[in-house]
Amino acid sequence: MPGSADLAIIPRDPKYQGFRQYQIAQFGLDKTPLEQFVIYLQKLFTLDWGVSYFYKKPVIGILAVDLSWTLLLVGTATIFTVLIGMAIGAYAAVRRGKPFDYLSTGFAIFFYGMPIFWLGLMLQTAFKRRSPFAAWFSWWPQLPVQGYYNNDLIPWQWDWTHVSDAGFHLILPAATLALGTLAGISLVMRSSLIDVMTEDFVTTAKAKGLSEAAVLRRHILPNGLPPMVSLIALDVAFILGGAYQVEYVFNYKGIGYRTIEAIGNLDFPLLQFIIVIGGAAVVIANLISDFVLLLLDPRIKIT
Amino acid sequence: MGEVAHPVRIVSPFRARTIVLARRFRGVATQVLHNRSAVLGLGILIFFFVLAVAAPWIAPYGPLEPVTDAAPLSHASPSHPFGVNLLGRDIYSQVIWGSQVSLIVGVMSAFVAIVIGTGVGLISGFVGGWLDEVIMRFNDVVLSIPFLVLMIVVAARIGNLDLWGIIFVIGFTGWSVTARVVRGQVLSLKERMFVERGRMIGSSNAHIVIRHILPNAFPVVFANGILTIAISILSESVLAFLNLSVRNNVSWGRVIAEAVRNDAITNGMPEWMIAPGLCLVVLVFGFYLFGYALDEILNPRLRRR
Repeated sequence: MPGSADLAIIPRDPKYQGFRQYQIAQFGLDKTPLEQFVIYLQKLFTLDWGVSYFYKKPVIGILAVDLSWTLLLVGTATIFTVLIGMAIGAYAAVRRGKPFDYLSTGFAIFFYGMPIFWLGLMLQTAFKRRSPFAAWFSWWPQLPVQGYYNNDLIPWQWDWTHVSDAGFHLILPAATLALGTLAGISLVMRSSLIDVMTEDFVTTAKAKGLSEAAVLRRHILPNGLPPMVSLIALDVAFILGGAYQVEYVFNYKGIGYRTIEAIGNLDFPLLQFIIVIGGAAVVIANLISDFVLLLLDPRIKIT
Repeated sequence: MGEVAHPVRIVSPFRARTIVLARRFRGVATQVLHNRSAVLGLGILIFFFVLAVAAPWIAPYGPLEPVTDAAPLSHASPSHPFGVNLLGRDIYSQVIWGSQVSLIVGVMSAFVAIVIGTGVGLISGFVGGWLDEVIMRFNDVVLSIPFLVLMIVVAARIGNLDLWGIIFVIGFTGWSVTARVVRGQVLSLKERMFVERGRMIGSSNAHIVIRHILPNAFPVVFANGILTIAISILSESVLAFLNLSVRNNVSWGRVIAEAVRNDAITNGMPEWMIAPGLCLVVLVFGFYLFGYALDEILNPRLRRR
């Protein structure tokens, strides 16, 4: 993104010279970077996030729409990741040293090291319309691989056709994101539970004759879950990074797609606000995790 | 004077240190060789290392050299196992050359990240007080911005990066986790007896940090470093996929991006997209296997109970 922003604002043609000067003055690009930064900070206090150079519209309006789609994608993926990842991790911990443990850990590390954009490309190839597999098996599912709902249905309305179509379009991107981040959660869950399982109170619980399931439910999980919650909150940054790749690959026009576009357009106000959103997401996730911890762990009290 | 039964070898301090280090290294090496996943990981790493070093001899064509005996976008054939791309370059050769960029960028940028992270962690943990507070709060800010997002924006802002540029972008945005891990180690190490003893005999702070704390924190730093390499390789591939990485060399991410742009799968050239991706996955898998196993061996807290 080298080059000055004003070149991207208006066409490069001498006849736009006057308009260009006007726009430069309007966006404050004739001031020094330090001055621009101070002005940006001043505006932050009034929650004025600036105007997009490219769309000439307030940044917050553009990103509010994108953010709702990204939240849908990340939210769906996170719910599945957390539930399935924890289940796999817990089962691997219980079956430690057995084939399931080795297999799931091996697969987890394998998926952990897989670039999410490539995983998305592979899933796209496998499930797109008229994919090679669909030619072999008549039952093979064929899923939409682009955008958030069918272009014929634009504009958006709140009715069953639109909602179901959006859900249908969500399957592959969400599955990609979930698969890509599942591994981390299940690995941490496994090691966290194994840590707890070596404690003396677990031996005691087994010695007094509790069943395996009861030991897991009453003694291991309550002690193993709290560290997981804070780790999932930290993972939000990682999931967001994955969401960027997924959105780019699947043409899913959320925050991540907008970032790549804004980089191409040299649209700094948009980029600045995207970074702010990223930071805010992590902070909010940490806050929520603290509240969940409060519910899960009776030892923690608000002072 | 009779013969001494077991003569004590008197060696110079330097030699003594090398003997101790060699013995410690041998201990770790035996443990690594007895760990199945570490051996598998190491095998994968050695394979790709050899591939990268021997690329000039293995690859039939240069990374950006156009072939003469086949048309652009021609399908796989015996002389071009993965076909030829739009600019008439042999994709098989590009995949082999790609291992160089991935390994160099991965190792070097992890090195940059670890040097910065270790330095910051050492200072922050050892000095403590308000400096520690300032550094750690700054670190929290960096950690709360999604790493990949930060990297994409920085890489895009600088633009037209060469190999060193991409190494520094990934290195400079990736040190915060290392800093935090090292700081945690230093906090526990500096309360240990040998630090107190060092202080008693009048060692300076610099001497204590370099000669006592750093060597004891090193195993953790090293194991963490292997995992950082894996993350750096993945980061480079994402940047290359978004066309933000090195322009004058091939990397696996770039080959995949080109395959996508040319609809490789629809055009009947699936290996164009699958081969570089699979290389990436296996290489990173190797680093993770080796890194986790090493972490288990070197980091006593994780050792199986």
